[in-house]
Amino acid sequence: MDLKTLTEINAPSGHEQPIRRALLAELKEKGFEPTIDRMGNIIVVKEGTGEKPRKRVLVSAHMDEVGLIVTGHTEDGFLKVTQAGGIDTRVLISKRVLVGDDNIPGVIGAVAIHLQSAADRARVMGYREINVDIGAKSKGEAEGKAPKGTYISFDTPYVEYGEGFACGKAFDDRVGCWTILRLLEEELPCDLVAAFVSEEEVGCRGASGAAFSQEPDIGIVLEGTTCNDLGDIPEVAQVCKCGSGVAVSFMDNASIGNRELFRKAIAIGEKEGIAHQVKSSVSGGNDGGVIQRAREGIPTLVLSVPCRYIHSPSTVIKLSDAESQFELTRALLKAL
Amino acid sequence: MDIKKILADATATLGVSGHEAEVAAYFAEQFRPLVDEVKVDAMYNVIARRKGNGPKIMLCAHLDEIALMVTKIEDDGCVRFGSVGGVDPRILPGSRVWVHGAKGKLFGTIGALPPHLMSAEDRTNNYKMDKLHVDLGMCAETVRSQVRIGDLITFNTPFTELANGQVAAKSLDDRACVAILLRAAERLQKLVCDADVYFVCSSQEEVGGRGAMTAAFGVEPDCAVVLDVDFALTPGCGPDVACPLDAMVVTHGPFIQPKLNKRLIDCAKAHNVKLTQTVAGRSTGTDADEIGVSRAGVPVVLLSLPEKYMHTSVETISLDTLEEGARLLAHFVSELDAGWEEDLWI
Amino acid sequence: MFELLKKVLAPIGPSGLEGPVAEVIREEIKDVVDTIEVDALGNLIATKLGKAENPRKVMLSAHMDHIGYIVTGVEKEGFLRVTNVGGIGMNNSYNRHVVFAGGVNGVVVAQPVAGQPALKDLFVDIGAADREDALKMVSLGDVCVYAGECFRLGEHRVAAPAMDDRCACALLVKLLQTVGDTQDTIIAVFSVQEEVGCRGAKVASFAKEPDVGIALDVTGWGDTPGVTQPEIKLGEGIGVKVMDRASISNPELREALMAAGEKAGVKTQREVLPYGGTDAGAMQTSRAGIPVCTLSVPCRYVHSACEVIDMRDMDAGLKLLQTYFA
Repeated sequence: MDLKTLTEINAPSGHEQPIRRALLAELKEKGFEPTIDRMGNIIVVKEGTGEKPRKRVLVSAHMDEVGLIVTGHTEDGFLKVTQAGGIDTRVLISKRVLVGDDNIPGVIGAVAIHLQSAADRARVMGYREINVDIGAKSKGEAEGKAPKGTYISFDTPYVEYGEGFACGKAFDDRVGCWTILRLLEEELPCDLVAAFVSEEEVGCRGASGAAFSQEPDIGIVLEGTTCNDLGDIPEVAQVCKCGSGVAVSFMDNASIGNRELFRKAIAIGEKEGIAHQVKSSVSGGNDGGVIQRAREGIPTLVLSVPCRYIHSPSTVIKLSDAESQFELTRALLKAL
Repeated sequence: MDIKKILADATATLGVSGHEAEVAAYFAEQFRPLVDEVKVDAMYNVIARRKGNGPKIMLCAHLDEIALMVTKIEDDGCVRFGSVGGVDPRILPGSRVWVHGAKGKLFGTIGALPPHLMSAEDRTNNYKMDKLHVDLGMCAETVRSQVRIGDLITFNTPFTELANGQVAAKSLDDRACVAILLRAAERLQKLVCDADVYFVCSSQEEVGGRGAMTAAFGVEPDCAVVLDVDFALTPGCGPDVACPLDAMVVTHGPFIQPKLNKRLIDCAKAHNVKLTQTVAGRSTGTDADEIGVSRAGVPVVLLSLPEKYMHTSVETISLDTLEEGARLLAHFVSELDAGWEEDLWI
Repeated sequence: MFELLKKVLAPIGPSGLEGPVAEVIREEIKDVVDTIEVDALGNLIATKLGKAENPRKVMLSAHMDHIGYIVTGVEKEGFLRVTNVGGIGMNNSYNRHVVFAGGVNGVVVAQPVAGQPALKDLFVDIGAADREDALKMVSLGDVCVYAGECFRLGEHRVAAPAMDDRCACALLVKLLQTVGDTQDTIIAVFSVQEEVGCRGAKVASFAKEPDVGIALDVTGWGDTPGVTQPEIKLGEGIGVKVMDRASISNPELREALMAAGEKAGVKTQREVLPYGGTDAGAMQTSRAGIPVCTLSVPCRYVHSACEVIDMRDMDAGLKLLQTYFA
C-alpha cells in the first residue's frame, strides 16, 4: 500500500474503522496474522532472526488523524461541529470536507469579507461559529444525512509536487504506518511488535493499551512532527527542516527520550550516512509518553518525519524524510 | 427500594473526594442484599459484585462530592478555605455549611459584605474564594481548639422535593447515578443475566477519575458503562450544551466505543426508553476517560442523567428519568451475551 | 545530616539525566539495605526487608531530579537557546550561573524585551566564540542546572539550588542508615522525572506493588513578606500533607503519621497546598490504588537558584519516620 492510498483514507480519532479495515486487508494479504486489541489497535508480532533471548521492540505509529465530529444541526440544515483531535479553526474556513462513511461532500464557508467589520476581520472564529454545509435544506434532512457523532475529514487528495515534496492530509501519522508496513518486510534480529494504534490525537489512548498488553523491552514511536522551516522563523527557533532527514527527539512535552537510544540513533545515522537531524524543540507530545510509562517503564525513542502545516488539510512532507525514517529505524532495529 | 429516601440519606452523608469512608460504608450496606459480595477498597471505592459466567462488565458511578477545605484560621476566628474539586465561588456567599472539626461538625455560615459597604465597581465583580470566610460564631481560640487546617467543609442544604417528581440536593452529582446502580441491581434480580457484574461506586472523580482508574485496574473488566450527570436545559444553558431533563443521554465521540454504544442505543429502542444524544470531541470529563485506558484498554460507554445547576448545593434531577436509566441499564446488562465483542472494531 | 545533605546536593541531575545523583546515593546506602536496583527509567530502588512474618510494603519516594534548561538551538554567535525542563518561573530564572553535567559553565540571560521576558527570550552564554565553538562544548539536548554551593543561613537554615528534592533524598538516606530493623519492608525509591510529571514514581510503584506510599518532598511557604498561603512556616516542623493538586492524602495514614510525630515529640504542620503535586499522586493511582501521604519539608523560594530549608524540619521528619517504623 502506498502513501497516497494510506493518507486518502478518512479516519479521524475514534473512527479508525476505515484505516483499520484497509491495514488488516493489506497485512493479511502479505501473510501476517494481525490481531486487534481492546483499544482497537492492530498488532502484528514478527519474530526476529537473532539468537534468543531477543529484544522485544514495540514500533508504533498511529492510524488516526485529526478531524471533526458533528455535534448538532441548525434549523436551516447546517452541521455544527467540534474537533476530534486538535484543529485550529483558522485553517477550516473555505475548505472542502467529506462527511461520514458515505463521504458526503461538504464545505465550510464564512461571512463574505464585504460584510465583515474591522473587528470581525481580526477575530478568530470559534467552533460555535463554524458551520459545515452539505446543502441540506432543513434540520431534519441534515440529521438524517449526518446524525450527531458523524465524523468529518478534510477532502484534500494527495499530490506530489516541487522537488520531491508531497502535499496532503493525515501524513501525521500515516507516514509512520507506511514505514511500519515496510519494516515488516525486513529480516530483523529483534522481535518486532508492530502496532498501528488508535486515538493518538485525542490523548495517546491506543498506545497506552498496546504498551501495557505487549510488554516490550523498548518502544520506538514513528511520528510526523511539526516543522516550521520556512518564512520568518529564525533558524534557532526552527523545530526541524523538511529534507534534512528523520528528526530524532531528545525531549517533548510527553517524554524525555532514553539518552542511550538517542545517542545510538544519532551514531547509526552518522555511521551509515542516513539523513537525520535532532528535533531541536521541546514541543508537542506523542505516544512516547504513555509507552515510556507503561507498567515498569520502557525506554523509548521518537523518530519523526517533519510535517509542514501539520493538522491542516494541506500538510507537506519531503518524501526523502520518510525514506530516512524507514532506513534509520531499520538500522537501529538491527543494532539493538 | 425507596429511592427518595436513599437519595435523601446519601446526599446528607459525608463523602468529600479522598475522604469517602462514610458514604462508601453507606452505599456498601445498600448493595449488600442485592449482590453476592461487597467490599470497600483502599481508595474507598465500593465494589459490589453480582457473580455470573458471562462477560465481566463494570458499571461505575462516583460517590464523592465537591466541598471546601480549611486552609487558615485568622486571628479574628474566621476560617479561610480552598476547594476540593470544582466549586464555583459565586454559590458561596450566604451559604450555610458544616465544618467537620476534630470534635464533630460545627454549624457555620459563609459571610458576604453587604452591598452598602462596597464600591460601585466591587458590586459588579463576583467574589473570589480567598476573600470569603466561614463564620463559626466563635473566637479564634475556640475555633483553633476544634478546627484544624485540612478539615472539610460541606454544604448544609436539606434534600428538597420540587414539582413533577423533581428533587434538589447537594451531591446528586453523582449519587443520583449511584442510585441508578442500586435500582438496576434490584431489577437484575428479576432478569436473566449471564454477565459478571461489578457495580463500582468510585471515589475521587471530582479531582480526576482517580478512584475509577484504580478500581478498573483491580476489577479488570471486559467492558464498562459509566453513569454520570450531564447538563440539563435551563435558562442560559441551551441546547448547544445541554439536554432535556426528562431523558437519559448517550454520548458519541472518540472516547466511546461505537459498537457498544450502538448496542446501548438499540437496547433503549427495544425497551422504549427515551434517549437523547450528545457529543464529546475528546475527554468526556467523567470516569469513562480513565476506565477506557485501564490496562490494555476497556471498551466503554457513557450513560448520563441530566441535572440542573451542576456543582451547586441545589443540583436538581428528575426521579422519572432516574428510573428509566435504571431500567435501561438493567436490560443492557441482562442482554450482554458472550458474543458482544464480535466485530467490535471492524 | 548537613554533611550528608551537602553530598547529595552536589551532583548535577536534571530530569531525565539523574545518573550522577543515583551514584552518590548508592554509595551512601549500599551497606544498609538488602537490595539495590536501577530500573528502565533510572529510578534507584533500594529495599530493606521487614522482620514481620508478612511484612507490609511501604514505598518511600524522594525524587532525585532537578529543574533545568535544555539546549534547543545555538545562535551563530555561539549563544545557546534553551527551554525549560520542569517548572521554571520567569521572575527568578535569569541572570544566574548555570552548569552542564560535563562541567561547562554558563550564565542564563534574558535579551531586552518590553515587559517580562519569556522563555524564548532567554539564552545561555557559555563564552563560545561562535556556533562551531559552542558545539564543541555542548550538544543539542544537553541540560544545565542552577549552579551553586549550599551554604548556611543563620543557625538552622540552609540554601542551595536542587534543595527540591535532594533534601528529601538526604532525609530518606538518613532514615535508611538509622532506622535499624523494622517490621515493615521499606522500598526506598529515589525517583526520576518528578518535575516533568512524576513519571519515575509511576513505573516504580507499578513494579514494586507497595501496600502504602509516602512521598518525601518539599512544599511551599507562607512566612515571607507578601506570601501568606499556604499556612506553612519554616522551622515549625515537618509538613503532613492533606491535599495538593495531584493527591489527597489517605486520612487514616495521614493521622497515623501525625500521631507518630506526636509520639516522637516533634513539631508537625498540616498542609493544604493549592498548587503542585508529588510522587504520592503517581503512587496512589498505581494498579488498584493504595493509601498515600506526603511528608513535606517546608522550603522557601522553591524552583529558584536559592531554595531555603530549615534543618530542624529535616530532623522532625527523620524522627517522625523513625517512630512510625519503630
